[in-house]
Amino acid sequence: MKALSLEFFKIRRKKIRVMLLLFLAAEMIWASVSIGISISRSAANASWEALVFTIASMNGLFLPILSAIVVSRICDMEHKGSTWKMLMTTPIGRRQVYAAKYACANALIVYGILAQTLFIVVFGLLKQMSAPLPPALLARFAIGTLLATFAVTALQQWLSLAVRNQAFALCLGMVGGFVGTTSGLFPSAVRHLLIWSYYLDLSPAAYKYGDSSGSYVSGSLPAGLIVAALLMAVAFYVAGNIHVSRQEV
Amino acid sequence: MSASPIVETRGLTKTYGGSNRVNQVGLTVEAGQIYGFLGPNGAGKTTTLKMLLGLIKPTAGSIKVFGKDLAKHRPDILNRTGSLIESPSYYGHLTGLENMRVMQRMRNAPARNIDKALQIVRLENQKHKKADQYSLGMKQRLGIAMSLLAFPELLILDEPTNGLDPAGIGEIRELIKSLPDQYGITVLLSSHLLSEIEQIATSVGIISDGRLLYQGTMRSLRASAKASIRFQTADPARAEAVLLERGYLPVAQGNRLTFDYLRDEEVSRINRILVEQDIPVIRIEERKKSLEDIFLDLTGKERSL
Repeated sequence: MKALSLEFFKIRRKKIRVMLLLFLAAEMIWASVSIGISISRSAANASWEALVFTIASMNGLFLPILSAIVVSRICDMEHKGSTWKMLMTTPIGRRQVYAAKYACANALIVYGILAQTLFIVVFGLLKQMSAPLPPALLARFAIGTLLATFAVTALQQWLSLAVRNQAFALCLGMVGGFVGTTSGLFPSAVRHLLIWSYYLDLSPAAYKYGDSSGSYVSGSLPAGLIVAALLMAVAFYVAGNIHVSRQEV
Repeated sequence: MSASPIVETRGLTKTYGGSNRVNQVGLTVEAGQIYGFLGPNGAGKTTTLKMLLGLIKPTAGSIKVFGKDLAKHRPDILNRTGSLIESPSYYGHLTGLENMRVMQRMRNAPARNIDKALQIVRLENQKHKKADQYSLGMKQRLGIAMSLLAFPELLILDEPTNGLDPAGIGEIRELIKSLPDQYGITVLLSSHLLSEIEQIATSVGIISDGRLLYQGTMRSLRASAKASIRFQTADPARAEAVLLERGYLPVAQGNRLTFDYLRDEEVSRINRILVEQDIPVIRIEERKKSLEDIFLDLTGKERSL
């Protein structure tokens, strides 16, 4: 806990929270415009499922980049100030710092996901959706997004701490954003290997194509993909932790 | 004073790519010493100090700090050790005070130590400035303040005066000299500057190409080098022949004849022999070896430190 509170202390003046809010605000504005147009075309689109699906699909683009930036900002300060060697000579070891950074990054992104969920509630109530507020759907959305985030931040943290030049980590975030946006075009066997596609795959709302049109449907989160996302998160975290801890400073 | 040395290494070796960066080094630092670890750039000083802190693992050899095996008791040893390795470590976006707070919380040191340490390095008036805005010397002072924060029993400083101006070097030198007596801190510091080690250290270890070539007190190092006596004469060739006949073994260097250490009576006798042979003696001089000469003798290298 001390290491975690120190991480929050160390990110002061980094303006990570402001950047997070501005980034998500841009996503929410885009989502508002998109959903507004969609509802104006067809009243059937004024559903919670449509709203959740739109945000989840946009998350495929925004959250990998956002995660890359947040994690990079948290990790980069250790490279810039050559502080790893200082941290390693204190009773707080590198593994504790690694865990604290992971928790700190995810805590910040959790704020963002909760803000998104709040946005969905407020937007849905303002637009007077056809059905009453579905707490279970929203909870599943938040959990699914969170699970994908856990794995993505673990991967980003590995790269951000192992490679001093943060351009690589940010590039990976952009590649992730591209994959997250286009994942629907990949066959499921390929898609399920790419963690960035899980923002959409772990969404409780989906768009089902019919013969001439489609409709939004909701369902429970696929257990297999939940396990896969968790395994990826653990694998990236453990591999990154071992790799970074073994690096000489 | 404890019975066992504060730092003791045996056969300490670090190999990179087949070559020994540090080779069979056996350091011994006793309590209360200011141990100067002297060597040219790339000699293996920083690598050795990093191994003492567990930042890198030795390829071979053992390290004991406070009489305890580093590999087994690292957290306890680190709790009692302060360090500044290579460049100072700091968070540039945080102020000097905030950097100290980070260190204070990591080390579980009392909050009052922050002001004391900042005062010692004379940064108390700059503590609200971001570390990024500090000059190189101020960053170095901050690094020293952070290493002093818990007032450890052992302080390991790698090139502590790097980046400091002459006045700053003087201040840090006086500070380091005061640490053993004032706070009971044993200091192990490295430097490539002979003059610095000469002025600060009570004991010295000389390392070159990864090998520890000398270890002992400064006094014994100086004593190990005896002065040479040089005679300058108007006819060095004849002077040399005359002296060789009398059983002396001068070394001719230009118009000078050099002898290893000679007692005063011997100097007087040689002078008399030369004068009696009508060989004008122009100058007799004693040449005391400097620490740099001693270093060059030890390393066998004509290279600048």
